[in-house]
Amino acid sequence: MADTAVVDHDAGAPHAHIEHDTNTGISNTKLGMWIFLASECLLFGGLITTYLLYKTPISVEQGPAPHQVYDIPFTSVSSFVLLMSSLTMVLAVAAIERGDHHRVRTWLVATALLGATFIAGQIYEFTVFVGEGMGYTTSRSSSAFYTLTGFHGVHVTVGIIMLVSLVLLSMRGKLPEHRSETVETVGLYWHFVDVVWIVIFAVVYLIP
Amino acid sequence: METQTADDRSQTISTGFLDGARKNYPREVQYVIVALALAAITGLEIATYAAPGFPLWNWGEKAGLVSFLLLLMAIKFWTVAYFFMHLRFDKPILTRLFYSGVILAIGVYVAVMATLHGFRAGQH
Repeated sequence: MADTAVVDHDAGAPHAHIEHDTNTGISNTKLGMWIFLASECLLFGGLITTYLLYKTPISVEQGPAPHQVYDIPFTSVSSFVLLMSSLTMVLAVAAIERGDHHRVRTWLVATALLGATFIAGQIYEFTVFVGEGMGYTTSRSSSAFYTLTGFHGVHVTVGIIMLVSLVLLSMRGKLPEHRSETVETVGLYWHFVDVVWIVIFAVVYLIP
Repeated sequence: METQTADDRSQTISTGFLDGARKNYPREVQYVIVALALAAITGLEIATYAAPGFPLWNWGEKAGLVSFLLLLMAIKFWTVAYFFMHLRFDKPILTRLFYSGVILAIGVYVAVMATLHGFRAGQH
C-alpha cells in the first residue's frame, strides 16, 4: 500500500495530506475520531438529561439550587473565550495545510491558552459555588451539575494536553504538512468540546 | 497469518476519492466571518438574560424565551459542526455518522424523561 503525498497549490486553501487506501475511503484515524465523537454525544446526552431531571432540589434544606448561584455574565465571558478558541483551532488547521509551521504553533498555543482560561474560569466558578454552600454532595441537583460541567472540563483539559503535544511535535519538526490530518483530528475533538459547551450554556445556564 | 489478496485490495478506496466531499476547505477570512456571526449569536443569548422583557423572546410565559434560546443554540451547534468541523466540505457519511449520535442522545433524553415523568413538573 503506497502512500502518496498530495499538495494542491492551485486552490484558495491549499490542501496537503497523504492519500492511502482504506475500506471506506476515509482515513481510519479520522473515521475513528468521528465514531468517538458520536459516542460522546450519548455520554453528554445522558449527563445533560440527568441534570435536567434533577435540577430542582427536593427541599430548601438541601442548600441552594445551581440556578440560584449562577453568575451568568461571568459564564458568558467563559463561553465567548471557548467559542473563539474554535476559531484559532481552525486557523491552525488552515496554517498546517499551507505549510506555515510558525503560524501553526502560534494558533495552537493561542487555542491552548484560551482553553486554559476557560478551565481557570471554571475552577473559580466552582470555588465560588462551594463557598455559597453548593458542594458536590449538597443535593442531587448540585451533584448532577458538577458531574456534567466537570466532565466537560476534563474534556477541555485533555484537549489542552493534545494541543501542547502538537506544539512540541511541531517544534521538533515532526509535524510536516503532509501530516495535517493529525492537527485536523485534534481540531475535531476541540470543536466538539465547543459544541457541547454551546448546548450546556444554553440548556443549563440560560434556560430558566 | 492472513495475507491480503489482490481481490481484497481491489475493494479498498483511496482517501483521495472525493465521494461527495469538496477538494478544498474555505479561506481563513471565511472562518473569521463565521466566528463573528457566532459571537453575535452569543451576544443575542446574553441579551435574553440582560433584557428579559424584550418582546422578541418575552411571550407565552417562558415559551418564547425557551424557543428563542433553543433556536440560537441549534444555529450555533450547526454552524460550528458544518464550518469549523468541516462537515459541509467532507464526505456525507461523516455527517450521517455524527448526527446519528446526536439523534440517539436526544432519544436518550426523551426516553429517560418520559420514563421518570420528567416532563411533568413535581413528578420526579
